[in-house]
Amino acid sequence: MTSDLTDIFALAPAYPELALVIGAVLLLMIGVFQKNNHFMTINGLAIGLMGAVLVLLLFAPSDGVLFNGGFVQDEFSRFMKVLVLIGSIGALLVSVSAAEEHALNKFEYPVLVLLATLGMMMMISANDLISLYVALELQSLSLYVVAALKRDSARATEAGLKYFVLGALSSGMLLYGASMVYGFTGQTELGAITEAIALGEPSIGLIFGLVFLLAGLAFKISAVPFHMWTPDVYEGAPTPVTAFFAAAPKVAAMALFVRLTYGTFAPISTDWQQIVIFISILSMVLAAFAAIGQNNVKRLIAYSSIGHVGFALVGLSAGSQAGVQGVAIYMAVYLAMTIGLFACILSLKSDKGYIEQISDMKGLAQSRPFIAVIIAVMMFSLIGLPPLAGFFAKWQVFLAAVEARLYWLAVIGVLASAVSAFYYLRIVRTMYFDEPENNFAAAPMELTVVMGLAGLFVITYVFTFGGPIARMAEIAAASLH
Amino acid sequence: MTLPLFFFYIFSAICIASALMVIASRNPVHSVLFLILAFVNAAGIFMLAGAEFLALILIVVYVGAVAVLFLFVVMMLDVDFAELGKGMLQYMPIAIVVGIIFGLELLMVAGSWFITPEVAGGSVLPIDAGVENTRALGQVIYTRYVYLFEAAGIVLLVAMIGAIVLTLRHKPGVRRQDIATQVGRRPKDAVEVVKVESGKGI
Amino acid sequence: MEFIATAADYLLGIPFLGLGTQIGFVYKALLLLVTLLLFVAYVLLADRKIWAAVQIRKGPNVVGLFGLFQSFADLMKFVFKEPLIPAGADKTVFLLAPLVTVLLALSAWAVVPIAEGWALADINVGILYIFAISSLGVYGVIMGGWASNSKYPFLGALRSAAQMVSYEVSIGFVIITVLLCVGSLNLTHIVQAQQEMGLAHWLGIPWASFLNWFWLPLFPMFVVFFISALAETNRPPFDLPEAESELVAGFMVEYGSTPYMMFMLGEYVAIVLMCALTTILFMGGWLPPLDIPPLNWVPGAVWFILKVCLVFFMFAMVKAFVPRYRYDQLMRLGWKVFLPISIVMIFVVAFVLQLTGWGWHGGMA
Repeated sequence: MTSDLTDIFALAPAYPELALVIGAVLLLMIGVFQKNNHFMTINGLAIGLMGAVLVLLLFAPSDGVLFNGGFVQDEFSRFMKVLVLIGSIGALLVSVSAAEEHALNKFEYPVLVLLATLGMMMMISANDLISLYVALELQSLSLYVVAALKRDSARATEAGLKYFVLGALSSGMLLYGASMVYGFTGQTELGAITEAIALGEPSIGLIFGLVFLLAGLAFKISAVPFHMWTPDVYEGAPTPVTAFFAAAPKVAAMALFVRLTYGTFAPISTDWQQIVIFISILSMVLAAFAAIGQNNVKRLIAYSSIGHVGFALVGLSAGSQAGVQGVAIYMAVYLAMTIGLFACILSLKSDKGYIEQISDMKGLAQSRPFIAVIIAVMMFSLIGLPPLAGFFAKWQVFLAAVEARLYWLAVIGVLASAVSAFYYLRIVRTMYFDEPENNFAAAPMELTVVMGLAGLFVITYVFTFGGPIARMAEIAAASLH
Repeated sequence: MTLPLFFFYIFSAICIASALMVIASRNPVHSVLFLILAFVNAAGIFMLAGAEFLALILIVVYVGAVAVLFLFVVMMLDVDFAELGKGMLQYMPIAIVVGIIFGLELLMVAGSWFITPEVAGGSVLPIDAGVENTRALGQVIYTRYVYLFEAAGIVLLVAMIGAIVLTLRHKPGVRRQDIATQVGRRPKDAVEVVKVESGKGI
Repeated sequence: MEFIATAADYLLGIPFLGLGTQIGFVYKALLLLVTLLLFVAYVLLADRKIWAAVQIRKGPNVVGLFGLFQSFADLMKFVFKEPLIPAGADKTVFLLAPLVTVLLALSAWAVVPIAEGWALADINVGILYIFAISSLGVYGVIMGGWASNSKYPFLGALRSAAQMVSYEVSIGFVIITVLLCVGSLNLTHIVQAQQEMGLAHWLGIPWASFLNWFWLPLFPMFVVFFISALAETNRPPFDLPEAESELVAGFMVEYGSTPYMMFMLGEYVAIVLMCALTTILFMGGWLPPLDIPPLNWVPGAVWFILKVCLVFFMFAMVKAFVPRYRYDQLMRLGWKVFLPISIVMIFVVAFVLQLTGWGWHGGMA
């Protein structure tokens, strides 16, 4: 048995991953052998490393299938990897000032984030059922640890444990599905599976395998009915960790979801489309109504993220290239909004410490107008009001659904957006129309920068970023077939 | 009946019986011991199937290391199983439903095996009969599956980091052994020779 | 019927019944068992004698000439005593523990090649088999300690389990370095590799075969293996599971008569096994030290037994003059010294083999 690796240059498509893993191990060694805690140094180096990998991905692209079909690098995976890296960099950046308060100032935190990012990039590039599973486990295991990293806090530990137990359950389902797919096609490589499916009538066992696979992945993107862990974990985990959870892992899991459904199971698209439509509607509706009663900002964001996953899935359920393009755009915009929003929340430090309740934000506009403006912009964008980025993202996925004659799905989506406006606007009202109760400290520099960038992205999206992103997303979507 | 078949039935019978006893026995330590017995018999079945390397690795890893630690924990915890079992009945319906679903699916898998045996028989990696299986495994792990092998290594690294970062606490003020200082100590650092005049003391 | 005939042929075979086609497995096994037990009886005596000699005592000297029958007298004594089972003990597990110890220790011998082709079962994964079986040895101790339902035995069992699991790790790595040089898991191949390649061949003096053996190129691993073998078999200075000054007798406190004897027997069989393994891995198994007449006229089995005796002599001397380790020192040695050394050695050995192209290729299929 021979390998397809002839020399080091044959590995070029995997250079970003290799750089990340070598860098992570090096940083770990530096951290271990330093006498004192060098959190800031390691964190800075980790951000720098991911930045370098980002540059590598953008300016020295190299596509191909590696490791006898276990790993694939194409336009789609590159698009998603860029998003994941931006999400991780953003998460590390916003955790700098809050790390000590949240007991995250250990050098292991950036290292684990790096390894989680590596897992996500491997997930996006997974082209084989086995590498899919291993990558998913790498990502999940790092996230379990990161969630419980604040080990003296009962809530964080509970969040970590809950995430771990439910995550293990979902991995089990995914594995069960994968083994059934393997059993009924005799293949583990995704391309070969597609060929095997296309050969004949899909058997019921294969459909069962598909359902289990999608159930396992739906857990990772926290789509209803596998969303139960999300509010608890988001609330319990330290806020910088929540910022990380809400952004990058969702993008990676969504990319895998798209690759499996739109790419691998394309020959039986009618079967998975039903499932995707089902979980999409449930996610949008449940999130819109459940978020209304929330008083904790992080729980609210958790439900909001469930809803947004639902919206993104609307695009996928169209089962068309335009739909996948919509999903890619949606994830890019969602990522920017999430990071921006968390930068705002992490800069809300009153005399009592970091605030988490919505009622604590009363009168924010008077003491910290800049933060309040950014939060308001994010909220309007999350609702999907024009001319902000959120509107165009939703526009794209709904358009794809309409083109695929899923009119009622688009209608439900618009209605769910309308309902969700209620709780987003409640925050804006609290900030602008209530009497101030707390004094807020000035936002640290790096948070201001992140907020400013995110705000800029969301406001000027239609003139600046929108065009290039749409084009890249189109190329990415086209590369899946 | 051939000799291997005879041993297959013995191994599988003991394996199934001890697996049953794992959930049936009242004493948790006995459960773990039965679990170990089940592992060993499963290794025997592997051995009969010609997977000698897997069989022995199963014993080394699961029985020799994992189950020992497991046994440790069970021995030291005073688990009151009567207490634990109280809430069991109310979950029974769910358990039965899940069990039936999984059972049906297993039947389906087995059924398709009989209907289209050629699909299930198509192995991704056909085994070369002339090669002993340790060598055969080595030949694919480091070439064809090197990516997965390395990835699994990173997963284990993360598990190690996680275990350390979640449990290790540096207590201040603990006196630790420093071998170098101990060895480097000279007699004059520790002993003082004093000439004592008789009848006077020091 | 056919099954019974094959089984009978395989198990009983030619001698006595005269109906088989091969020498029966049962006879070979019996022969090995009897020889082994006799050997262990005298190893036990030697252990006591050496210990006594170091302390300028005579040791056992009453039963038979120079006390040569002492072990058999002890056997009689243990067998005829009444077995006591503590009231609070878990009876089944309590009695199972010594049985497990003995059975495991004996079953590992099935793959040991005493001379070329003299292994009961010359399997392809022999070394892995021994490793697996010796990793099971810990169960006898844990089960005994737990089933006694008493504090000292339980503490002894806990210590023992941690100790054996820790040192198994470095033993495993040591074995890997040897395997890298040999390229086969078969014990016979490991010895053959030491015959056909090595320093003596390289120097052009092939008759000096003791230079070929792995103890020289892998000397650090030889030391690590020897010390880990002491720890793995709970020999002094690592006999913490039964440290009499702290735990009275550790996991064996509640045992007496035949069950105790079985523990003892299992322990010594395991010790001899470790000596045999050291011989095979590092000291050329059945090969003569100098490949010249008359030394190479002596049967291989004799050399094997002599080498085992030499290693055991070292075991006994260590017991006689090294003070017992403290528990934290033991753990420190295992995890912080041996583990890094053996991991580094794996890298070094692999690098050297890769760069120079050395290594044995006789076992290649």
